[in-house]
Amino acid sequence: MDGTILIFLLTLFSGIDQHIAQGINLIFFIPTCITTILVNIKNKIINFKIAIPIIIMGIIGAIIGAKLSIKLPVNILKKSFGIFLILIAIHEIYSLKKEYINNKKTNNRNIEK
Amino acid sequence: MFISLIGIFFEKKEIIIIMKENLKKIIIGLIAGIISGLFSTGGGLILVPSFLYLLKLNPIESRATSIICILPMVITSSFFYAEANYLNWKVGIYSAIGGIVGGFIGSKMLPKIPNIILKASFTIFLLFAAIHFIR
Repeated sequence: MDGTILIFLLTLFSGIDQHIAQGINLIFFIPTCITTILVNIKNKIINFKIAIPIIIMGIIGAIIGAKLSIKLPVNILKKSFGIFLILIAIHEIYSLKKEYINNKKTNNRNIEK
Repeated sequence: MFISLIGIFFEKKEIIIIMKENLKKIIIGLIAGIISGLFSTGGGLILVPSFLYLLKLNPIESRATSIICILPMVITSSFFYAEANYLNWKVGIYSAIGGIVGGFIGSKMLPKIPNIILKASFTIFLLFAAIHFIR
């Protein structure tokens, strides 16, 4: 989530190239990520059984994605990132609607009681 | 090559059974990895909803598990970015310092803001950013 904001701000205000902005995001991400993981391990809320296969496949996926990203020209990379964001936004709108309906239902039930 | 490497440890039938059981996880992991490598962000945006809806984890667990899954993907892609000379350490470290401070303030503020307002503002930001990138 914060990565999107960082890339957005870097490309908008500093005029930094999309590839470089993504690289900065990687450096930015690692320390914040490690501190959060340490806290989460302490609180025992990580599901390792699910995490391990996802990590293995994720590394393979990341190799494919990173190689592709480096080869892609900047404008195509930017456009596909924009399309990806729109897809996520559509999902967010859908889940917002779902949550709104659920809230209404529970409110109604409370009133009935 | 990867499959043949696993083949040293397991029989072929066993591999198929493991693959079937973990098919959902394999597909989720692969897609999240590709997105993470391609855009260097967005792995979490895929992992959290798929943990919630496909693997039926609770929200706290899915957020915590997604972060530990993203770290190896980020580290892997940063090797490739470094090779292509796309890493700007100076700006990266400055942003990280700001990010840690901002993250601290944000996490203090988070419980005080209603979920619907958070989600709505995030969606508006996403659409705004999408327009900026597509234009």
